[in-house]
Amino acid sequence: MSADDFFDRTEFIQYFRDETEEILQSIDSDLLRLEGFVDSGNVDPEIIASLFRGLHTIKGSAGMLDFKEVQGVAHKLENVCDLLRKDRMPLSESCVNLLFEGRDILTALVHAAIDGGSAPVGVQNFMDRLDSFASVYETTAAVIDGTNLPDGLGEHHDEMMPVDQHQIDAFEAEVERLLAAQNSQSGPEPSAAIPAPALASPAPPLTSAETAAGIVDAAAAQAAIDALLAPESVATPAAAVAPAAPKKSAAEAVATASPAPTPAAPAPAAPGKIPVAGGKNQTIRVDIERLDMLLNLVGELVINRTRISDIANTLSRNVNDPNHHQDVVVPLAKDLADSSALLARTTNEIQESIMKVRMVPIGQVFDRFPRMVRDLAKARNKEIKLEIAGAETDLDKTIVDEVGEPLMHLVRNNIDHGIEEPAVREARGKPRAGTIKLNAYHEGNQVIIEVQDDGGGIQLDKVRERGIKQGLITEADRLTDREIIELIFTPGFSTAEQVTDVSGRGVGMDVVKKNILRLKGIFDVDSVLGEGTKFTMKLPLTLAIIQALLVRVANELYSIPLDAVIESQRIDTSDVRTVHGGEVITLRGQVVPLIRVGEFFNLTKERDPDKVMIVIVGLQGRQVGLVVDSFQGEQEIVIKPLSDVIGRIPGISGATILGNGSISLIIDVHSLVASAYAGGKVARAEFSGV
Amino acid sequence: MATKDKAPTKLTGQTMQVVSFALGSEEYGVDIAQVQEINRMVTITHVPRAPHFMEGVINLRGQLIPIIDLRTRFGMPRTEHTKNTRIVVTEIGSKRVGMVVDSVSEVLRIPTEQIEDAPDMIAGVETEYIRGVGKMGDRLIIMLDLGRVISGNEKRDLESLETEAVSA
Repeated sequence: MSADDFFDRTEFIQYFRDETEEILQSIDSDLLRLEGFVDSGNVDPEIIASLFRGLHTIKGSAGMLDFKEVQGVAHKLENVCDLLRKDRMPLSESCVNLLFEGRDILTALVHAAIDGGSAPVGVQNFMDRLDSFASVYETTAAVIDGTNLPDGLGEHHDEMMPVDQHQIDAFEAEVERLLAAQNSQSGPEPSAAIPAPALASPAPPLTSAETAAGIVDAAAAQAAIDALLAPESVATPAAAVAPAAPKKSAAEAVATASPAPTPAAPAPAAPGKIPVAGGKNQTIRVDIERLDMLLNLVGELVINRTRISDIANTLSRNVNDPNHHQDVVVPLAKDLADSSALLARTTNEIQESIMKVRMVPIGQVFDRFPRMVRDLAKARNKEIKLEIAGAETDLDKTIVDEVGEPLMHLVRNNIDHGIEEPAVREARGKPRAGTIKLNAYHEGNQVIIEVQDDGGGIQLDKVRERGIKQGLITEADRLTDREIIELIFTPGFSTAEQVTDVSGRGVGMDVVKKNILRLKGIFDVDSVLGEGTKFTMKLPLTLAIIQALLVRVANELYSIPLDAVIESQRIDTSDVRTVHGGEVITLRGQVVPLIRVGEFFNLTKERDPDKVMIVIVGLQGRQVGLVVDSFQGEQEIVIKPLSDVIGRIPGISGATILGNGSISLIIDVHSLVASAYAGGKVARAEFSGV
Repeated sequence: MATKDKAPTKLTGQTMQVVSFALGSEEYGVDIAQVQEINRMVTITHVPRAPHFMEGVINLRGQLIPIIDLRTRFGMPRTEHTKNTRIVVTEIGSKRVGMVVDSVSEVLRIPTEQIEDAPDMIAGVETEYIRGVGKMGDRLIIMLDLGRVISGNEKRDLESLETEAVSA
């Protein structure tokens, strides 16, 4: 290693990223809990303490890495928490909103610092607002405490002059009046607005100059507090909120916000706020017990290795001596059999353990949603409860990383299209607040994730109409309900009349479908008009090892992932018929189109004149038969990607190495079928749903 | 990790170490820094629908290595593999690729001043793959530009499609 690597900052930055991401997540959930205490007059001190700790840690780590802006913002937020902790500031909605905004700015800054990107705009603006917000209370606190200023105001301390008792009395009275007013005021304020512009505006609260002059100006303080509390002031221009959404272009944020300069304005930035699966992080936190278990197993492996090499040595010493056959070789054979059994057991356990090490709870993804639902619900003027179950369900890290995006689109869709407005819900005899349920659980070798709402359900006729309008189907097409629902997942499809920031571009559901298929998952939609929609996805627990059906095609062995296989069939050639030139069979009343894998892959092989071997695979409820030459049984296989030198090959998703060292290519059922259709090699038979 | 320089040795150095191998009657060479190992022929698993010069993949100690048949790559007629046939496993950047060659001869040290720029046309091999020609006595060593050899973005002309059809 060269001398430049003496201090490798990247390692620390990596650590900082992991740690901070975790803390920001916990800050988010703390804030959500804190929000429940707004105006209740008491606050669970543990929440504040947890917030304080989190911010403090970020501040410290950022300081070490010289991320000054992160450090600065964390410090300011910490001040606010300190005021809350010392009960010097009432817990108001504006305060929580300011903290939420601060958390988002902090997130953006952390990402900018790590990726070396430019800092989000508006940080200074936010800091100023935070300062003014806090300083009102800091000053108040200072006055109430006499000269005991809280830490954050230390620099002002020296300059503080004694004030007239009369002034203090007046100020205290005023503060009390305002606090009381605030408590009565900030009730079900629908907006997540931050009373920002008023504070950032030229009507300033206390400046240090004024403080230095020894004047605690009650009027100025009142103006500031008024500005904070007055509902009119919440018409925050979008620009003030935009900085929280660094991933979105500022122009886009403004554009989406501008049509609604109402109190709902701040929300448009929300979709960009939570970086779902942003900046994929490549480390994993592992329970030390799992590592210890692995270490034990490796220990056994090492012992076994010694044993086997002993056997080999003894054997080679005695190999030419027929006299020792009985007393040496026979026991050796037994030893070897034992060792080999032990080896088999140990490697199995190691495989299981290492898979466990890769497993992380899906809660890591679910945790992002309370915040997103809160923000979007506010933006849409809807009342939504989010229920999460099964957050502890483990699945492979790579899948957890990938599943965030489709889930986000689904939840957004529920909020935007599913859950009705409170008034509509009441009219329909439902509770005002809609419910979105996220649930995850294991089922066999798969994990099931459900996203369910109790909203209006999918309006099939509307979807159909829209599909016709967008030219996806024609008036004459007779579609099953299922096929109509499938339209939703077509790129560009949207029922929204207008493109909004949340949805309407027709991208989301397409992403959902693509991602799930890429993860080798399948999905299903149940929708009852007026009662709600349930989206279910089934994903494999891991992408690295799968069960596969081995088949022979010409001279090659191919693996077909077992999760796609419904059954395998031997069928008389005479039962194969043609529809529009493509081959089909009828299986229990269903017409199933056939794809000859050998011909698809240009492999030459004589066709068996009597029988065809068919693997029936399921694709989104449709069935397709893959014609192969013979079945070679099931096996657990380890997926290895094909080199990118070869590039993407339709119909092949990777390869695996079999027990005898030979290679078997893994068939990508989805792309094989899609590509065969595109190539016109398959009968466009009528599909029947399952 | 190895600090070994994997970048092509500069042509302006003193001598260049080259692994030389034969294809038909020609002798070729690649920079030794780009050669990871040389293996005997093993079973190559055919990858359907891959670029025509991709022979398939092999299992190299648990890793999948794509294999290019250099004869096909250079538009030469294919021949049966013999006991001299070798797979030269090369590493270019992060890409590992094996190349099937008729035989591997030796490691040569060629003084850089003996390496000349490629002439326009050498025995039918498209010159885009050639970095230069090294002279060792009366031997001519054709120096390959491996980056170009493995990149698949060449034109799939009729001839190569025919080759594919024949080999399929």
